Amino acid sequence: MGLLDIIEKELIIVPLTATDRNGIIESLVDRYASSRNLSDDRRREIVAAVLERESMGSTAMERGIAIPHVKLAGMESPSVVIGVSRLPVDFGGAEKSSIFFLVLAGDDNPSEFIQILASITRLCSSDMMVRMIKNARNADEVHQLFFD
Amino acid sequence: MSAPFDDILVYLDGSEGSMAASMYAILLAKETGARLHGVYVINTKALGDLVKAHVFISSERAEFLEELKADARRHVRHLEKIAAKKNIAVETEILEGSPSAEVLKYVRANSIDMLVIGQLNMIRSRREELANENERMLRSVPCPVFVAKDSDEIWNMFEEI
Repeated sequence: MGLLDIIEKELIIVPLTATDRNGIIESLVDRYASSRNLSDDRRREIVAAVLERESMGSTAMERGIAIPHVKLAGMESPSVVIGVSRLPVDFGGAEKSSIFFLVLAGDDNPSEFIQILASITRLCSSDMMVRMIKNARNADEVHQLFFD
Repeated sequence: MSAPFDDILVYLDGSEGSMAASMYAILLAKETGARLHGVYVINTKALGDLVKAHVFISSERAEFLEELKADARRHVRHLEKIAAKKNIAVETEILEGSPSAEVLKYVRANSIDMLVIGQLNMIRSRREELANENERMLRSVPCPVFVAKDSDEIWNMFEEI
């Protein structure tokens, strides 16, 4: 399963309105949890896992991208939640971030997880793609960019 | 007329597509008498790139590397097991690096004249960055490539021989 197999319009948030790292993570996980009808306990568990991973080292990279991610036991298939913030947010990296890809995957297919993360980083190495995502007006436009 | 190939390589990546490719490669080897090779490439290129991009921290890289090695051993063992069931000898290797580059090197070094891979992704994007490793292999190797689409037919044929 590759990145394009897991991009869902419902899991794209434009704009993200949270103004700090924890708020961004909460918003992304909330969207995932509501789309999958997860319990509040499970939602909190995912937020805690993502925050714990970020506390070990920020996943903010250049071009204003951040890719928070975590492996979760019991997840059958991977998911990605994409968020675009109008205002760059301090995500703990050298520069502020405005495009976020939250990647959640099970703990039984490391190869697939790496392929998905690698696809996102390859895609975001294109200045043009990053600019187009930042300028997208809504989730439809972001979704369309991946399937052009 | 004998088969136009003597050395078949099947690329393993743990996907269902590569399972079908494994079975098809065994079928081909059985029918033609060609030698069978199987290669799994631990994608250390992607791991390194993820560390460079600050997506992975070094401890995470080490953890994933161990998991990928275990995954590689499991899939290689599986190929050996199903080949043995059909009385086919298979030469297997676990390599590290960029999958398409390592497969290309292996093809050249071992005079492979038929590569078997699992099915390709649907074409849903023209973005080159989203091409997967199978597509890169298809484009780069100098030998013919057989794309085994995962189907009940392959499973049935495999059961029948």
